[in-house]
Amino acid sequence: MLCRVEDLDEGAARGFEVPGWRAKVIVVRKEGVVHGWRDLCPHYAGGTPMAWKRDAYLNGGRTHLACHAHGAWFDIETGVCVQGACLGKRLTRVPLRIDEAGGVHLDRPPREERP
Amino acid sequence: MNIIGPDLLVFGVDDVPACHEFLTAYGLTAREYSPETGGFYDSLDGTGLAIRRRNDPSLPPALKTGSMLRLTVLGVTDQAALDAVAAELRKDRQVLHLADGTMRCQDDQGFELAFQITIRKPLTIEGEKVNAPYHPARPVNALGVTQDMPAAPRTLSHLVLFVPDIETAVNFYCNRLGFRHTDTLGGAGPFLRPQANPDHHTHFFIRTPPYMQGIEHLAFHLGGPTELMLAGSRMMEQGYESFWGPGRHKFGSNWFWYFKSPLACNVEFDADMDTHDDSWAPREAPMGPEASQAFLMQWRAKWAPGGGPKG
Repeated sequence: MLCRVEDLDEGAARGFEVPGWRAKVIVVRKEGVVHGWRDLCPHYAGGTPMAWKRDAYLNGGRTHLACHAHGAWFDIETGVCVQGACLGKRLTRVPLRIDEAGGVHLDRPPREERP
Repeated sequence: MNIIGPDLLVFGVDDVPACHEFLTAYGLTAREYSPETGGFYDSLDGTGLAIRRRNDPSLPPALKTGSMLRLTVLGVTDQAALDAVAAELRKDRQVLHLADGTMRCQDDQGFELAFQITIRKPLTIEGEKVNAPYHPARPVNALGVTQDMPAAPRTLSHLVLFVPDIETAVNFYCNRLGFRHTDTLGGAGPFLRPQANPDHHTHFFIRTPPYMQGIEHLAFHLGGPTELMLAGSRMMEQGYESFWGPGRHKFGSNWFWYFKSPLACNVEFDADMDTHDDSWAPREAPMGPEASQAFLMQWRAKWAPGGGPKG
């Protein structure tokens, strides 16, 4: 389990380590729906992590996910970059499953990744 | 043209308190700060950053790309140098002389510029000294590191811009403002230094599509590699996120450690940059991992061997 839905404020984002994965999973809640994204900005090949400090994934206006290396903005619901370095590219979605007790899980068990 | 380099970079941001938190953790000293309007963030010699709200009416217009850099203030040696810059730029653009003594204009790609007699206060604190065999640089009994030693940014070093047109940028800075070309990373762009500053670069340009125009990173010089490692480690221990480094660049020889920031650009610690004069012949290497650094490392939490085998 990554976290509980009740631990996620509306409009807030958090990052979670997944054993075997080289980048975190961003879990963000918008209009009651919980979305999962890889913490990998698509600006550079292979992707780079996006927060400026732990869990600081949102832009200053709290309207978009942002990569704080160069300020690219991503739509929270679709992952599409709408401004900045990777305009038109998108984040990689991580399918999530929410159990009856409100626990947020990866929908599929993670495969090991090369670092 | 006796330009020294950047005195002040002005940003228009969406989250002033976040920038305040980041820049004070980075080691700059806040001045005239309020969460509503922003403040100044000074390094030891007085150069630094100004943070304002994005919609602050005192700011020059923003680039359309979302970049938060609103104004670059370049310091020159004296009034004669300021007059020389004004005379050159008046030939083909509007140059405003403001009440605060600065001179305001735009470069050829829409970046807002100001020039002023530099506010840098020369520092008397010494740099890092290294004891090499047979060549000790520190006095006997003087310590090389202590956990709580200062590691504050000493001076604003350089800025790197994403620009859609390298030739236009180089023409403006070299042919109009007299900057010298030190080296080139092929596929990215040139390193430039102004005439009154021996540092390898105060400006570097990276060619990008127009929708990326803006600041890529800014950097302050620290007193040496030990200060850089300490300053970066303190950031990591507080949960700030590294983008690249620590390592040591090849062109410029500067140690580097880049951190992501709420200013929509990376903010770098740098130390021990090469200096050059006009006898230097520019080098060129293709942009990539090999040319970008002599070595690259990754931070980890403190650890020590001990405790014996498990079980």
